[in-house]
Amino acid sequence: MSTLKDKTVTMAHGAGGRQTSELIDRIFAAHFANPDLTADDAAVLTPPTGKMAVSTDGFIVSPAFFPGGNIGKLSICGTVNDLACMGAKPLYLTCAFVIEEGFSMEKLEEIVATMEKTASEAGVHIVSGDTKVAGKGQVDGVFITTTGMGQIEEGVRVGGTLAQPGDAIIVTGDVGRHGCTILLAREDFGIEADVTSDCAPLWNTVEAVMNTTHNLHVIRDATRGGVGTVLYEIAGQSNVGIRLDAAAVPVAPEVKGVCGMLGLEPLYLACEGRMVIMAPKSEAEKIVETLRQCPYSKDAAIIGEVTADQPGKVVMTTEIGTQALLPQPGGELLPRIC
Amino acid sequence: MGEEKKRTAREIIENYDGPAVRIMEVCGTHTHEIFRLGIRKLLPPQVELISGPGCPVCVTPVGFIDEAVWLALEKGVTICTFGDLVRVPGTKMSLAGAREKGAKIRIVYSPADAEKYALEHPEEQVVFLSVGFETTTPAECLSVKQAKKDGLSNYSLLMANKTMPQAYEALKGSADVFLYPGHVNAITGTELCEDLVNEGVSGVVAGFTAKELLTALAVSLVKFQEGKPFFVNCYPRVVKPEGSREAQQLTDEMTEACDSEWRGLGVIQKSGVQLKEEWSTFDARKKYAIPPIQGKANPACRCGDVLQGKCKPSDCKVFGKGCTPQHPIGACMVSNEGACSAYYAYGDCK
Amino acid sequence: MCVGLSAKVVKISEGTAVVDAGGAKREVSAQLLEDLEPGDYVMVHAGVAIAKITDEDEDETDHLMEELL
Repeated sequence: MSTLKDKTVTMAHGAGGRQTSELIDRIFAAHFANPDLTADDAAVLTPPTGKMAVSTDGFIVSPAFFPGGNIGKLSICGTVNDLACMGAKPLYLTCAFVIEEGFSMEKLEEIVATMEKTASEAGVHIVSGDTKVAGKGQVDGVFITTTGMGQIEEGVRVGGTLAQPGDAIIVTGDVGRHGCTILLAREDFGIEADVTSDCAPLWNTVEAVMNTTHNLHVIRDATRGGVGTVLYEIAGQSNVGIRLDAAAVPVAPEVKGVCGMLGLEPLYLACEGRMVIMAPKSEAEKIVETLRQCPYSKDAAIIGEVTADQPGKVVMTTEIGTQALLPQPGGELLPRIC
Repeated sequence: MGEEKKRTAREIIENYDGPAVRIMEVCGTHTHEIFRLGIRKLLPPQVELISGPGCPVCVTPVGFIDEAVWLALEKGVTICTFGDLVRVPGTKMSLAGAREKGAKIRIVYSPADAEKYALEHPEEQVVFLSVGFETTTPAECLSVKQAKKDGLSNYSLLMANKTMPQAYEALKGSADVFLYPGHVNAITGTELCEDLVNEGVSGVVAGFTAKELLTALAVSLVKFQEGKPFFVNCYPRVVKPEGSREAQQLTDEMTEACDSEWRGLGVIQKSGVQLKEEWSTFDARKKYAIPPIQGKANPACRCGDVLQGKCKPSDCKVFGKGCTPQHPIGACMVSNEGACSAYYAYGDCK
Repeated sequence: MCVGLSAKVVKISEGTAVVDAGGAKREVSAQLLEDLEPGDYVMVHAGVAIAKITDEDEDETDHLMEELL
């Protein structure tokens, strides 16, 4: 068989004929092989017992490869983490690719191999997929959409409306690394820093927390918009106030440095492997202890608490001990000079 | 160390019991940091902080955005800009709006990056939106110098640069004490501030850390109570009395004063900066013969009054209603450093 | 009006300096400052080192408060 080196994806690969089959066999089926993967029109699965969680997410990221991962890893982590946030053990995943004509076959294979590796780490089976090829310039490289199905653990009820005054707020690691990594990888600002994406599948982490206690109120992964956006979302959904200790929020010094140069707030930079957990204060220490044993949450920290006053707002205790609102999340992140 | 316990800057501020005083933070970065640090919460009621015009984005008139949009859409040039300007409304649209229509808008960290982009893309015409005060102008001049050195004919500046001295004249009487913009003084030095004392204008140069801001405010309050006009450089680690000779020489060599429109303050004579004749091939207005454009601001917007400390953002009818950071009507709501944006973001503050 | 960042100079070459803030590195113009050396601290604005500084606000503010009181 010829190698993939120097080969590119062509419109013929999306036309449904022989070349489509070849692409599927050599790249997708070769990596995703598992007993549940279908070659038919739909995967046939045995439904889990109890309740099920389903989530879908589209992934576009430029550049598609970045320190700490690629779009393939992202597309698995994003969906697996969304399921985990509902206390659901990820079981099955489907994925749809839209690939730009001319995309390197070798790179595509690398993306698919990463997906397989990440899926197997998360314990999820890829059961069905789809591939379309779009004309040059119609998409940027490759777009991936994944849909995940998971089984909700019994006795677990978490959600954005369940935060209660008195809850401790825990973040599972330092914030803003993914957003910062992408910003640097685009090379628009001439800044160099040793930052890698925090992109990681977190089901095992969430499972460890749930094995520690079922007394949890909110688990949410901080993706686009970062931890700051998640806090505002939950403050709104649960109609509670949030008191944040600015000094307790873990931020890598490099991320702080980049943010200083560009005038950005780390709390609003995207993460792809960080959860915000809210649980009664009595459970907080235990949870943090558990998190620190897990590979992706060694820097977990309690960063604040849920309050009854100022519902809908996130208030920071500043470095001089005063209270100031965390500004509401804005639109596009724009570096500023002034 | 001393036998009696010294009062800290913070204690001086919190326990101030002197006469009512209005302090204007001229610089938008000061406005932003003071809010971010919650310093306003420490002030007794008779100490009023006014947010001044020291945000280049906020004082940039609507017509400037219109010129940039015209260059991008009509002339097809690539606009390079600091991020803050992208969402400032023009008469018809912002640069973000122009981008939706296919304009090429690039956000850069430094004018040097815009010049470098022009060097690497000889097939594109690149215009950098040159805004800023004395602090930023040297960076923009350096990019033009580099462009000349690189022999570029595809790089130019659309300038709206401004200088502070004439603005102080216009602002006299708006406040009892001015917190002077530390990084402008790093370039210009402190001579002007010292001269202003003779005209009865008081002020301190302030730095930007929590300690520096608290110290500058404490010094202001103690000196104000003494009753005489004063000037103190509270940022000596960065600001030298003579400023930066190199930066001054550079701007003197390459630019000359011109009349300039400030949003809200109108045209102030000799308060702007343009490239001298010998650099005019790098002046986008001349290069593209931009037609005179009279920008029209939304009449409901009171950014002008806000910039002069004549009203608070919350006094404006559209503040927080029609005008929010997501859908700004005025520039003061767009820029992070704008008073309206800061009031909106930190809304529970006095 | 002008965001400044204090950063440490780690490398100097003809008219430019590489500065470091918490591990974030960027090349900036050093044309406005003479005699910069690695290890110096500078205030950076819009990609230009505009002033040589001391990195500590502590001494400065202590000194000012002492003079004041």
